Formats: sequence, structure tokens, C-alpha cells
Amino acid sequence: MIFSKKKKITIAYTVERCPKCKSIKKREFSKGDVLFSESSGCQSCDRTMMIEKIYGETVE
Amino acid sequence: MNFTDFDFGQLLSFGAGDETNPLMMLIWILPIIIFVFYGQRIQLYITSGEIKKGIKKLDTFRDESRTELVGYVKKNLNPRHDPTEKLDCFLEYFTIMPVDMDPNGIVEKVRHTVRSREDYTREHVRSLSPGIIETELSKVQTLLEIASSLQMFHRIINHMYLTAKKQNNYPLILPLQMLLPFIMEQAEAMRDAIPAFKAGQPVGDGIGPMVVGRMMQSLPKETVSFQTSLAQTEFEGRSLFLLKAEGPGSTVGRPADGLENLISKNHLDAIVMVDAALKMEGEDSASIAQGFGAAIGGIGTERFQIEEIATKSGIPIFSIVVKQSVREAITLMTKEIAEQADTVTSQVYDIIKDNTKPGQSVLVIGVGNTVGVPQ
Repeated sequence: MIFSKKKKITIAYTVERCPKCKSIKKREFSKGDVLFSESSGCQSCDRTMMIEKIYGETVE
Repeated sequence: MNFTDFDFGQLLSFGAGDETNPLMMLIWILPIIIFVFYGQRIQLYITSGEIKKGIKKLDTFRDESRTELVGYVKKNLNPRHDPTEKLDCFLEYFTIMPVDMDPNGIVEKVRHTVRSREDYTREHVRSLSPGIIETELSKVQTLLEIASSLQMFHRIINHMYLTAKKQNNYPLILPLQMLLPFIMEQAEAMRDAIPAFKAGQPVGDGIGPMVVGRMMQSLPKETVSFQTSLAQTEFEGRSLFLLKAEGPGSTVGRPADGLENLISKNHLDAIVMVDAALKMEGEDSASIAQGFGAAIGGIGTERFQIEEIATKSGIPIFSIVVKQSVREAITLMTKEIAEQADTVTSQVYDIIKDNTKPGQSVLVIGVGNTVGVPQ
């Protein structure tokens, strides 16, 4: 349809950051994710990554 | 009769300039007469069609928010009895604001009324499931506020529409037509806010708590007032107090009470407030602005209290705001807003360095809803 609005979907993402090597990992938000909390292990070093940001990105 | 050589041009006198043709006169005069006598009524029908669509949308939003609320309570709070009836009762609550004919002491009265309502709602939500944790309780309270606001929008708009229609009064429908786009924007934002609050994700308004919460990380914290957290640290010889609502629940805390408690025990030389602000049309979302004065929204009681303390003690208030739309403020934080956290943090430190000397004390307040943002 020419005049139909494209439906926008917002996907929530969690950005993790390693406090040691500063590497960043972006993944989809999962239930229980809270800012500044410890998350998965860093793939580059042994440290536990911290959740630095949680945000939404809109796709059409 | 031969219809094949019928001359329409002659009949309607298009371009012929024959003004005596009775059919032509009728075609011109009839609409004028209709519009003179029934113009407003026609406009009323056209406008009411648009408003009807808006009301139907509002009705859907109201039902959706109620269903989401009941569903969330049933799923997460494990209530002993069916909570539907009680929640429906909460949705009907109203607040009568104090009389303002004599404005003396009105702020205290408004604060008392609003806090009484909050306390009452909180305790009654708690009664649905006595073992409920504070984070869940605050989420339900916010969902209840959203559902009750959407219910109020629908009720008011529907009332205005039906009154105008009943009276066949076009001027009565005009303010409704003007207001409706703004109300729909707010209502749609509220509807879209529900998933973020349910999932405990940070919203755009949480940029202030996010900035201060990050500064508070790994510092010892204390509860300085109801649902408000305080931490103390040092920064380039200055004593730094950090204050925000207690996350990750959905609350704005009571920063003014926190400031009052803090000032009773400590001397402050400056206050820096970080908050989200509504952007004007044409302004970029997530743009940062600095200014003076207390950056805090709400009904005004918190701002009044902060301004009063600051004025009495002669403390300057500096503010940093991150601009965003109504929708962005109450829905899941956008990438653009989240990425401004580093810039805002460095601006906070710059303000402290530029406006205070070593040995002085500064309070940084992260204002806003702290859902999904701990400290």
C-alpha cells in the first residue's frame, strides 16, 4: 500500500564492557539485565564484563 | 427525444456568461444557502469523525493498558485472590487538588495530597501480595499510573465530544480538535511505555540517574530519604555528594527531602542537577544543554523545596539537560540518549571544576525515573 505506515519495531540491546581490556559486546536484551551489573565473561580476557548500556534501536 | 445532441455547455452556460439560466443560478445559490444555515453542522460532522477515531484509539489504549496491568499482577505477584476487581477500583481513583484561592501554603498541601495518594496506592498494591519486593511494587505502581492516566484521557475526551454532539455545538468541539493531537501523542507514548516498565528497562528520563548511578558505582551508599540513595566521594580536592532515586525500581525518589537531610548535616557550595528535558520541535533529540536553576519536573513541589533550600543557603544550582520527546522520555532509552552519558558525565566534572574550589562541597543530583538503573 502506498499510504500505509511502515510498522516500526524497537529491539532492546544490552552493551557489555570489559573493565580490564575495554572490549565491548552488544547483544539482545535478556530478562534480568540491569545496568552496571556483572554479566558474561570476556572473550578476550578472563574478567567478567559489566553491563554498560541498555537501549532500544528502531527498525522498520 | 434525441439525447445524442444534448448540449451540456449550453445548459450550464460554462463560459457563455449567461447569468439568467435558472439551473445555473440554482447550482450556485443552493450551496451558499446550505453553507449559511448548515455550515457549522457540516463542519461538526466532519470534525466529529476525526475525533471519533481518536476516541476509539484511546479506548483501545485504555483496554490494553488495563489488560497488561492485570496480566502482569497475576503473573508476577501471585496474588491470593483475583486482583481484577481491586485493580479496577484503583483505576477509578481521583485526586482533588487543594483550594488555591489563598495560595499561602499551597505547596505543602499539594505535596501532602500527592504523597498520601502515592502511599495509599503503594500499600494497597502491597496488600495484593504481601511478600512483594520493592522493585516489583514500584513497577506495578507505574503500570497502574499509566492505566489510570489513559482511562482519564479517554473519559475526558469522550465527555467533551458527547457534550458537543448533544448540544450540536460546533465551537465546543474546536478546543477538542486542537487538543486531540497532543493528547494522542501522550497517550501513544504511555501505551508504548508499558513494555519497558514491565521488563525493567531504562527509559529516556533515566539519563540523569544513569549518569549519577555510574559515578556512584563501587561507593558505599545510604538511604537519605524515601527511595533516595546517597553516596560520597572525592573529586580533585572537593567533597562530592551523589544523589539519585533508588534503582532499579521504577521511582523518582524524593531528592528534595534528600537535600534537606544532607544540608542539615553538611555545608554545600554548589548543586549540579542532571535531568531529561522535553525538546522543542526542530531541536535534535539527545542534544545536551546547560543552564541555571533546578532541573526537575513533576508537579512542582520538589522543585519548590530544592529552590527554597538553595535560596536560604545561597547555593547556586547548575543544570544539565538531555533533550528528548515525550515518547522518548517514557519509553525504552534510545541509543542516542544512552550514548550521551559519557559527555554528560564529563560536563558534570567540568562544571564542578569551573565553579568550585578545592575544599568545597558539591551535590550532584540525577533526576528522573530510575527504572532499570541501579547505583
